[in-house]
Amino acid sequence: MLIKRKTGGPGRTFHQAVTIGETPKALDRRAFLRNSGLVAGGLAAAGSIQLGSVRKAQAAGASAIGPEVTIKKNICTHCSVGCTVTAEVVNGVWVGQEPSFSSPINRGTHCAKGAAIRELVSSDRRLKYPMKMVDGQWTRISWDQAIDEIGDKITGLRDKYGPDSVYWLGSAKFTNEAAYVLRKFGAFWGTNSVDHQARICHSTTVAGVANTWGYGAQTNSYNDIRNAKTMIILGGNPAEAHPVSLQHLLSGKEINRANMIVIDPRFTRTAAHATEYVRIRSGTDIPVVWGILWHVFQNGWEDKEFISQRVYAMDDVRKEVAKWNPEEVERVSGVPGEQLRRVAEKFAKEKPATLIWCMGATQHTVGTANVRALCILCLATGNVGKPGTGANIFRGHTNVQGATDLGLDVTSLPLYYGLVEGAWKHWARVWDVEYDWLQSRFDEVPAKGGRKARTRKESMELPGITSTRWFDGVNLPEEQVDQRTGIKAMMVFGHGGNTVTRLPEAVKGLTKLDLLVVADPHPTTFAALDARRDNTYLLPICTSLEMDGSRTASNRSLQWGEQIVKPAFESKNDYEVIYRLAAKLGFADKMFKNIKVVDAVPDAEDILREINRGGWSTGYCGQSPERLKAHMRNQAKFDLVTLRAPKDDPEVGGDYYGLPWPCWGKPELRHPGTHILYNTNLHIKDGGGTFRARFGTERNGVTLLAEDSFAKGSELTDGYPEFTMAVFKKLGWDKDLTAEEMATITKIGGANIDTVSWATDLSGGIQRVCLDHGVTPYGNGKARANAWNLPDPVPVHREPIYTPRPDLVAQYPTRPDERQLRMPNIGFSVQKAAVDRGIAKDFPIILTSGRLVEYEGGGEETRSNPWLAELQQDMFVEINTGDATDRGIKDGQFVWVSGPENNAKAKVKALVTDRVGKGVAFMPFHFSGWYQGDDMRKFYPHGTDPVVLGESSNNTTTYGFDPVTGMQETKCTLCQIRAV
Amino acid sequence: MRRTLTTFRTLVAAAILMAAFGASSGSFAQQTRDGLNPTGQNPTAESVNEDFLFKQDPKITGRISIPDGKAAHLIQPAGRDYRDFRERWLPWLSALAVLGAVALLGLFYFFRGRILMEPGPDTGRKILRFNGFERFAHWMTSSCFIILALSGLNYIFGKRLLMPLIGADAFGVVAQYAKFSHIYLAWPFMIGVALMLVLWLKDNIPNKIDIAWIKAFGGFIGNKHPSAGRFNAGQKMVFWMVIGFGTAMSVTGLMMIFPFALTDITGMQLMQVIHALIGIAFIAGILAHIYIGTLGMEGAYDAMGSGKVDLGWAKVHHDLWVEEEQAKNASGPQLGRHQVPAE
Amino acid sequence: MARMKFLCDADRCIECNACVTACKNEHEVPWGINRRRVVTLNDGKPGERSVSMACMHCTDAPCAAVCPVNCFYTTADAVVLHSKDICIGCGYCFYACPFGAPQYPKVGNFGSRGKMDKCTYCAGGPESDLSTIEYEKYGSNRLAEGKLPLCAEMCSTKALLAGDGEMIAQIYKQRVIKRGYGSGAWGWKTAYRETVAI
Repeated sequence: MLIKRKTGGPGRTFHQAVTIGETPKALDRRAFLRNSGLVAGGLAAAGSIQLGSVRKAQAAGASAIGPEVTIKKNICTHCSVGCTVTAEVVNGVWVGQEPSFSSPINRGTHCAKGAAIRELVSSDRRLKYPMKMVDGQWTRISWDQAIDEIGDKITGLRDKYGPDSVYWLGSAKFTNEAAYVLRKFGAFWGTNSVDHQARICHSTTVAGVANTWGYGAQTNSYNDIRNAKTMIILGGNPAEAHPVSLQHLLSGKEINRANMIVIDPRFTRTAAHATEYVRIRSGTDIPVVWGILWHVFQNGWEDKEFISQRVYAMDDVRKEVAKWNPEEVERVSGVPGEQLRRVAEKFAKEKPATLIWCMGATQHTVGTANVRALCILCLATGNVGKPGTGANIFRGHTNVQGATDLGLDVTSLPLYYGLVEGAWKHWARVWDVEYDWLQSRFDEVPAKGGRKARTRKESMELPGITSTRWFDGVNLPEEQVDQRTGIKAMMVFGHGGNTVTRLPEAVKGLTKLDLLVVADPHPTTFAALDARRDNTYLLPICTSLEMDGSRTASNRSLQWGEQIVKPAFESKNDYEVIYRLAAKLGFADKMFKNIKVVDAVPDAEDILREINRGGWSTGYCGQSPERLKAHMRNQAKFDLVTLRAPKDDPEVGGDYYGLPWPCWGKPELRHPGTHILYNTNLHIKDGGGTFRARFGTERNGVTLLAEDSFAKGSELTDGYPEFTMAVFKKLGWDKDLTAEEMATITKIGGANIDTVSWATDLSGGIQRVCLDHGVTPYGNGKARANAWNLPDPVPVHREPIYTPRPDLVAQYPTRPDERQLRMPNIGFSVQKAAVDRGIAKDFPIILTSGRLVEYEGGGEETRSNPWLAELQQDMFVEINTGDATDRGIKDGQFVWVSGPENNAKAKVKALVTDRVGKGVAFMPFHFSGWYQGDDMRKFYPHGTDPVVLGESSNNTTTYGFDPVTGMQETKCTLCQIRAV
Repeated sequence: MRRTLTTFRTLVAAAILMAAFGASSGSFAQQTRDGLNPTGQNPTAESVNEDFLFKQDPKITGRISIPDGKAAHLIQPAGRDYRDFRERWLPWLSALAVLGAVALLGLFYFFRGRILMEPGPDTGRKILRFNGFERFAHWMTSSCFIILALSGLNYIFGKRLLMPLIGADAFGVVAQYAKFSHIYLAWPFMIGVALMLVLWLKDNIPNKIDIAWIKAFGGFIGNKHPSAGRFNAGQKMVFWMVIGFGTAMSVTGLMMIFPFALTDITGMQLMQVIHALIGIAFIAGILAHIYIGTLGMEGAYDAMGSGKVDLGWAKVHHDLWVEEEQAKNASGPQLGRHQVPAE
Repeated sequence: MARMKFLCDADRCIECNACVTACKNEHEVPWGINRRRVVTLNDGKPGERSVSMACMHCTDAPCAAVCPVNCFYTTADAVVLHSKDICIGCGYCFYACPFGAPQYPKVGNFGSRGKMDKCTYCAGGPESDLSTIEYEKYGSNRLAEGKLPLCAEMCSTKALLAGDGEMIAQIYKQRVIKRGYGSGAWGWKTAYRETVAI
């Protein structure tokens, strides 16, 4: 066993003798030793009768002097709060964790996962070497063999079926650099089917929020919630999912005596600390939000000035909201009107007020619409763009924000440039490759299934298949999948297999795949389902604690994590594996042209510099590795609430912690980052901003630009469009550009430099000049209450596919069947069939799902950690006391939870509790390793099985996808529960 | 003090009712029916506190995710009462019982002296009273008992008497061995008790003769020795004490060997209390048994020593048994010359 | 001289179990031994509160009183510690402890319950401070390094307070005054025969 050598001398004064109370046991250590004969001179004769487990103490005073301790800082991988992990390393071994008191985000604290994170690295249940399944048996192979064989196989598939036949799944636990490199790899390989966990957690948030006011991210920060006087937490249980955030929430609640309103179907650990709890029926978020707004509009509590200056088409919302009078809201959602009036009054009048949401809002067939409704609630009450307000969206993994930003998304290149030609050309310039070459990598698709043939360019600009549908992409008849063939190979980097709904269908898909590669610290559910005999590879990847790189927390702050220890066992980091694969496929030199590579390991700092060179659109340009490292060194200097360092600090003066994006201009410009988005009360150089003018300047004769609203110190005192050279020329600001900047712009624009914009100008000149004039590079627009490009421009209520209220389906049906993201979405037909077949009678209980504090995501990693696994040893279903009594179910006994599709059933333990209301059941989604009642432990490679296995909640989840992002429905389906 | 004792007594009484087969506590007594919809409530304002919960139950119990029922008890102030019992009362009670028994026996010996054999016509002839197996059962049980008693007393008096003498470290070792012996010798002890029950049950069924024997106080009152079968009423009392106390000690002991298997913390405390109280009573009782079987009565020891007793002594003390034995076999159970008693 | 205590502010505790795993991490506590745990009261109902509990290092500790081998001692900081060399694993301290703090490893068959293990307030044991043997038997000794117990230092919402009793009581009082509510210092009456009067 390793002992930590600590600073500070042994033996402090408190070991002097005292007597406390009347007991004769109040002894100090020395007196105790003396009495107990443990020091020299004790009764040696009897004492020498040694028992096995009784060991003699060493001579007092002999303390172990260990070797030198190095302190390393990295970021906890288990949620998006971004807690700093302080590691004590001795001789390359991580021996202990200390509180990270200097971090302004976690201030020394952790949750169960963060406090146990050391075990992740030293776990002996990790994948130790590359493996291959040969005729159903796992066999050890070398890295060279693995890369060789995988490379040959995917090349073969590419030749035969086209590049889209190989699906690339990345990870929200990637560093920014790894996410970027994998997206780039996808581009070089020739597919847009590169996705990651954001698809199944906050894709609808990103889509909904970005379509409202510009950027798809949390507007404020965890710390800023301390300023709020009212907070609504809707569809979120941060006490379990983001425990450290509760430190800020509860402090805010205490300091301001703030209202903390929890709106949730479940009385969660968060609700226990609320000042008001609102129980809703799952899937009725829009009726509830409109119900709140109904009171706001009815009483004139809306922020009229804010709406007129900064919001487009709020009147369209009024029309929809008018339908949601208290009676209708109560009929649909079950929430009494009087209560919502109270909530509305607090949110609108006791300001600043913030809205916090999580996957309870996003994981629905109406996810994007939910998010939009929530944004509109903020807009109507003027609760955006100020301290203590905003849409505080809590994301799930360490770097799910960063991985989304950096393009692990089937609809965009890195940093939300999209897939349009201009985006490809921008990145081709940054990557220093030919646009034509990139295009040549994509597939030509013949006419199929009544669809036209597709050119390479069209393929390049067509979004890929979402991760929620990958197995549909395998299973569905080929004419239904909008590419040359269905999916033939899955390349899974750091993504669980049990996190996507409809697991039985996924198992079918797995059996059909030509190739499955799982690159992960653990084998994951993908590898442990009894579905495959051959052509399955496991590549041991180190955790992100074993690699350098930046991570973007939910509040958009980037934090640099340094490698704590070298990758354990034979594991390699993501950079190296992607590099080796690229090398095998022959484009590594092209891909890593401007990135230093040492021994096949690309340099994280160099990758970040490349991101900086191309990341203008989202303000990922100012966060150089040097600046980020300086922040980690100077953590203690940042203010707890404003996250800002004192202006006079030589290294980080005036910066916001982690340079939250957008951090405009080149690093040398030293933009401080943007703590609160769209905050007009600050100069842009101090992190101020406006709503993004992303959707044009006017629509149907109504302006989309802000009116009489602008950021502090702006030279333009009204709305303005995003900045291009054309706009610059009109304003005469092109004169402010340096010759060097002009040269770069000219090179980019060629004959038509007018189109070069703030987002494509690689010199950073346009942004620099904008900052000097106090304007936001992306323009000053209005937020949209009506987002005309979305399926439901103004959110409308739609019943879940499997609803316990079939009587409401006729009035509030789900959207009609249509094709989205290369796949059919037949939600309407499924809903109709469910109603026609009377599913709600056979499956009368609403099944919802969520997180446990001890586990994360698919849970392989955390369930392999004994410190955590001990705390949750069984998969369970929460069932209401009344429902349990009706079924004769006792707390702790096994029950079958059955679902309406695939004859799905799951054997889990009953947790009888009033956390859930009558007719509602809840299952955590972290378990896997049991399948429909069978223990699958033997299918894991020897020694890599997690400590705790259990039925996956997705065994019983059902059909349902958001029309915008393909988000799955995990929060509202139906089930039946029976005692085993 | 009185209050805590009362509480503890109530606790004990309540626990007796449910402890034996471990009805675990009614911790979730006030479940809401049907899960009352908590919407509209202010969970902060309604938070529970210690006083409120203690009014519902003497220990505060909640929910915990680890599968360890005892961990779900948050606070059980009864631990203090248990401590009072163990530290304030038990040492005195034990000392009183053990020393009291010794003192009484001493007094008895002083006044009555050793009960001597009354010489008669059969003096010198032997009759087999306990065969080898019976004696094996007796000695296995009794030797275990002695060690159990000593190691048991060590739990109470070790730290008070032995520890100051030999120092804590040595005492720790002794106590560790004492604990091991207490736990491991409990098994042969329990087997022994069971064997004795099987062997001697039929001879220990109380009957009318016993009443006369008791009335005569076993011969102390009056001058005629009362009649007795194989076992007189006094011996029967010892038998039933051993069976009763032995069973009680076994049950409570087993529950301590497998703690919390059948009961919760309150039950465990109760087991401890019962085990200790019966234990000291048992020791006191057995001291009397030892006295009468050895020092107190001439000739008695032979029954468990060689197994053969003096026929004259037997006729005095167990006249009916001797008659019975002799009736069974013309030659009686007395040993012929060719027979060797099984040792 | 400091009088060390724990105080769990149940109005802050969210049952995140960081205290539990921090303890496991710091002392390499094996599976089945829970030096600290979090219990949720009134689960799922308004009024629900969670409380993190470990050895409270009682004044006049009942465990020490009932120990048949006197293996307990109290440090000058009022931390209740014990010697595993002397402990015989009898289990009495568990019966006496109002807080369920003592834990016993199962070392073999029946009756071979191992030596008691419990929260040391991150203060090690009777062996010399910061020695290897101390770490192996009792875990690390943060107090000797001038640090407080890791469970409290890492508590996600700063609900669990550790330190001098007067000081943490003061912090708690200020919180209650500031926010206007408080469910009290859980266990203090039982452990220290006092409450935090507001």
